[in-house]
Amino acid sequence: MIDPLQTILIAAALLLAAVTGGYIALDRSPDKVLVALLAVLELALVVQAVVAIVQFARGSDDVGGGITFVGYLLAILLVLPAGLLWSLGERSRGATAVLLVSLLTVAFLVLRLVQLSAAA
Amino acid sequence: MQRPDVRSTSSGLGRALVAIYAVFALSASARSLVQLATKADQAPVAYSLSAVAALVYVAATLGLAEVGPAPRRLAWAAVGFELVGVLTVGTLTVLDPELFPDATVWSAYGQGYGYLPLVLPFLGLAWLIRTRASR
Repeated sequence: MIDPLQTILIAAALLLAAVTGGYIALDRSPDKVLVALLAVLELALVVQAVVAIVQFARGSDDVGGGITFVGYLLAILLVLPAGLLWSLGERSRGATAVLLVSLLTVAFLVLRLVQLSAAA
Repeated sequence: MQRPDVRSTSSGLGRALVAIYAVFALSASARSLVQLATKADQAPVAYSLSAVAALVYVAATLGLAEVGPAPRRLAWAAVGFELVGVLTVGTLTVLDPELFPDATVWSAYGQGYGYLPLVLPFLGLAWLIRTRASR
């Protein structure tokens, strides 16, 4: 497991969550800048999934833990696109808060991933 | 903009609430499927409970996300069941931690998830009351 990447991912997700919090406070809808930042984070999450699955495939063959581990890696990828789609369906503070929920979920899931690989 | 005559459960703050419910629905479902698929015989009660909780979160998500009387009834039932579930399972697991060999989302009032499973049904009920059609 590549720990620096996970640390960066969690920090980036939390930082973006704080930025989104600013958008909510100012009652601003997500703009191109915010969506672009989300896209960069999503790209980094894809890199994590690819790297971690390759590392995992070379390592252990514990199927039970493996399903969970790979499941986490792939599930994380769905959170931001789904959140963005649901968020863009409406222009309101609550809709922008959906992005906040998504980002905190990503941070939490990456943290769980680190715990999972530490336990394995 | 929200139209004042339509009180949708998925508008405004409700949109964020639906997102939180969706996260719980997906994570509880995934967890439950893995538990049932890989080690169902180890703790059948706890894992059945996880599956029930997952279904409740899915129902609540759908009920809140859709607009109309039937989805609203579904949301009421699901969120109500959720509240009863988290209070019952939470109390039982606090009184007797050995009752379930493996943790569920509602164990110890959702302690493992920052007590969010305990707070969530109250938010859900408050939102359902607040968006009720005015007569």
